[in-house]
Amino acid sequence: MVRFCGNPPKTAGSPLSPSKNDSVATWIRASKNDSYALQERKQFLIKAYHIVKASQIDTVQTRKLTTIAYQNLKLGDTTLFKNRTNEALALATRINDSFAMGDAHWNYASYYTNRAIYDSAYQHFDTANKYFDKSGYVYESANMQYGMAFIKGRFKDYSGSEVLTFMAIKKFKQIEDYKSLYSCYDHLGQLQNDIYEYDKALYYYDRASEYLEEFDNNQTQFQASLNNIGITYLKKEEYSRALQNFNTLLENDRLKLDNKDSYARALDNRAYCKLLMKDTLHIAKQLNEALHIRDSLDDKSGILISKIHLVRYYTYAQDSVKAIAVAKEANRLAEEIRNSRDYLESLSILANLDPKNSAVYLKRHIDYSDSLQIIERKIQNKFTRIAFETDEYIQETERLEGQKVWISIISSVVMLVIALLFLIWRQKVRHSLLLFENEQQQVNEQIYLISLKQQEKLENEKIKERNRISEELHDGVLGKLFGTRMNLGFLAIEGDKKTLKQHQLYIDELQTIEKEIRDVSHELSDNFDNSQINFLIIINEVLETNSKLGDFKFELNPDESIDWIQVNQIIKINLYRILQEALQNIIKHAQAKNVIISFDTDESKIIMKIKDDGVGFDCKKKRKGIGMKNMTSRIKKLKGVFTVLSEPTKGTLLTIQIPI
Amino acid sequence: MKSKKYFVLIIDDHPLITEAYITALDYYSKHNETVDFSIKTANDCDSGRLLIKRALKSEEHKYIVFLDIKLPPSRDGEILSGEDLGLLIRDLLPNPRIIVSTTFNDNFRVHNILKNINPEGLLIKNDITPLELLETIRIVINDPPYYSKTVLKLLRDQVVNDFILDNYDRKILYELSIGTRMKDLPNILPLSIASIEKRKRNLKSMFNVKKLDDRQLIVSAREKGFI
Repeated sequence: MVRFCGNPPKTAGSPLSPSKNDSVATWIRASKNDSYALQERKQFLIKAYHIVKASQIDTVQTRKLTTIAYQNLKLGDTTLFKNRTNEALALATRINDSFAMGDAHWNYASYYTNRAIYDSAYQHFDTANKYFDKSGYVYESANMQYGMAFIKGRFKDYSGSEVLTFMAIKKFKQIEDYKSLYSCYDHLGQLQNDIYEYDKALYYYDRASEYLEEFDNNQTQFQASLNNIGITYLKKEEYSRALQNFNTLLENDRLKLDNKDSYARALDNRAYCKLLMKDTLHIAKQLNEALHIRDSLDDKSGILISKIHLVRYYTYAQDSVKAIAVAKEANRLAEEIRNSRDYLESLSILANLDPKNSAVYLKRHIDYSDSLQIIERKIQNKFTRIAFETDEYIQETERLEGQKVWISIISSVVMLVIALLFLIWRQKVRHSLLLFENEQQQVNEQIYLISLKQQEKLENEKIKERNRISEELHDGVLGKLFGTRMNLGFLAIEGDKKTLKQHQLYIDELQTIEKEIRDVSHELSDNFDNSQINFLIIINEVLETNSKLGDFKFELNPDESIDWIQVNQIIKINLYRILQEALQNIIKHAQAKNVIISFDTDESKIIMKIKDDGVGFDCKKKRKGIGMKNMTSRIKKLKGVFTVLSEPTKGTLLTIQIPI
Repeated sequence: MKSKKYFVLIIDDHPLITEAYITALDYYSKHNETVDFSIKTANDCDSGRLLIKRALKSEEHKYIVFLDIKLPPSRDGEILSGEDLGLLIRDLLPNPRIIVSTTFNDNFRVHNILKNINPEGLLIKNDITPLELLETIRIVINDPPYYSKTVLKLLRDQVVNDFILDNYDRKILYELSIGTRMKDLPNILPLSIASIEKRKRNLKSMFNVKKLDDRQLIVSAREKGFI
């Protein structure tokens, strides 16, 4: 009996199809070309590998690396294959490319399947499937499930295998991969065969042949399908139908030339079928022909089947010597190729044929089938464990990923908080800086005030002193001089005319001195209260400077009744600064031709009005500039009232009322 | 010819000046035999007042008073200057001939003296010479008044400029000229600050001075003989 079921074919090349100009892809393609010698093809792969290594690490390069690794495996270079795959896996893990990770595991799975180390292969299939499934690679994921189903079927976990196959089928249907669907249904048929559900098996084979129609180049599969159906009928003991299938196969004349393997199988099976129908005509010849062909192809499982069929024939023909000899050969071969099913069959045949040694063969049969069962059970357990561990691994990954998410959330929150704190801190620093500046300004203004007061005092003292000197000169010195002069004048001086004249001259000179002293005294007392008008003079100066800058005419209308001396210096300084700000604004924005500044008072407050005939602005729309803000804050500090009247093109009127 | 006897009071705080007056009077009576002087002196407001009161008791009727303006005030604070004494003399003495002799030559004070005391002789000390003093005595005795040169000049200036300034205006100008502050003016004058401001504005327009320029106002007023 022959099973047609291979490993799922691994397609080289990733979904990220490399461009034609891609040198790596070129080398890989060249390595697949069997017109080159094996050594050359290996060399191509090494070149491709070096190009990949030289380039930047990214998904494309990592995926190419897995392809190269797989190609190495196909060329039988297992050491290089392992190295490359390990490297690819490490890279893929580093850049977290789940496709490449899955691909690497697929590589391992293929490797272990080839080596018949099925538990490891199963583990890699499973892991690869998790990666592919997670990142939505349907075809690859379905292939992995099919691979697992195949391995499970091999170890008689029929239901598990079925479940996996159905899962794969669902995916293949999704992407309409008919060839794979055929394989899957074919596999299902095998499974049903193994559990003696022949009708079901036939049903699945039917479905498989339906998909067979959907793809080209299906000869091999077609032949296998016919063969499988034939075998199922054979098992079902519907020999004529089985024969019909085998005949259909053999009717194809090209079969013998094109597909010797398939031909031998069909020939063998038909002969066996006829034997079961008790039609022994040409059977021996046909069975031997099939055996010869298989021998020439070195198809060991085929040879084994042929031999078992021959044993059946010899048994039927009651040629027990030949039967036993062939059965022993078959037994040895089955042991060699580790075909446990045929090994057991050959043992039971031998037990029947060789009554003398029957007990030995039966014992061997029982021992072997027991150990086989144990192995199968162990392996089944292992599959379950792998599935569980993989689930755990996935859970762990998920947990770690969740942790990662949490860590990133927390760290971003922490970062945010730090950023916020930093901002607040900076704001605070800026604020305190502003406060400091403000304080500094206030201190400066206070110092200015103090120095002003000091100066005033000094000025007063000066005036007092000057007055005192003036008075002293005027009342004391002048009086005495006058008296002296008069007395000198009345003094009857005797002498010549010249002397008398000289005397008179000196007296007149005294009078001149008196006059000079009096003038000095007057000048000294000619004090004038400068501070009285200082403020308005300063305002006038500011206006003059700014009017030149802003090219406008100005008018200053102070209320004479305001006693500026009485007004608090702080108010004056602030009025001065506010006016400066307002003039700045006028120069910058207003384009005014005329500016009128007036100071008025009513008992309780001083009112400063600044009016211009500039462009004005819309009070509602315009955001406050820094100048306006400064004015507002100054006025607020003095508990004053600030009103702004303006309309576009109609100029601006600022009214500032400060309580005194 | 019977000599006329004059009762002369000299009130001046400078002994030198007093002496000069006496010399001048002696000199005058020597050359005018018909005139005789009985001289009494005082050197401050208190003694001046005493002198005036004593003179009142005498039989004499012809009084000549040499009066200084700047004098130590009386201790009771009633008499502050020669000006007050002058008023007292006008009140108490019958028909006195007052010769005010002062070092003040500012127009305002002179104006005030003229207005309040209306002296028969007004001398600015710097103006006069011994000869002029003798002339003063002669004119005051015979045909008052006698004003010295500065006074005459002042009067002339005022006549030329037809500004009408009342006493308050003058006082304001004067106070400003000596450095009194506006805020202190209401304490000196019986006027509110507002009315003082108003007067000042009027003065400025009268003297054709810019609004803010108080100094110019004072200079101008002085030029025109109001201070």
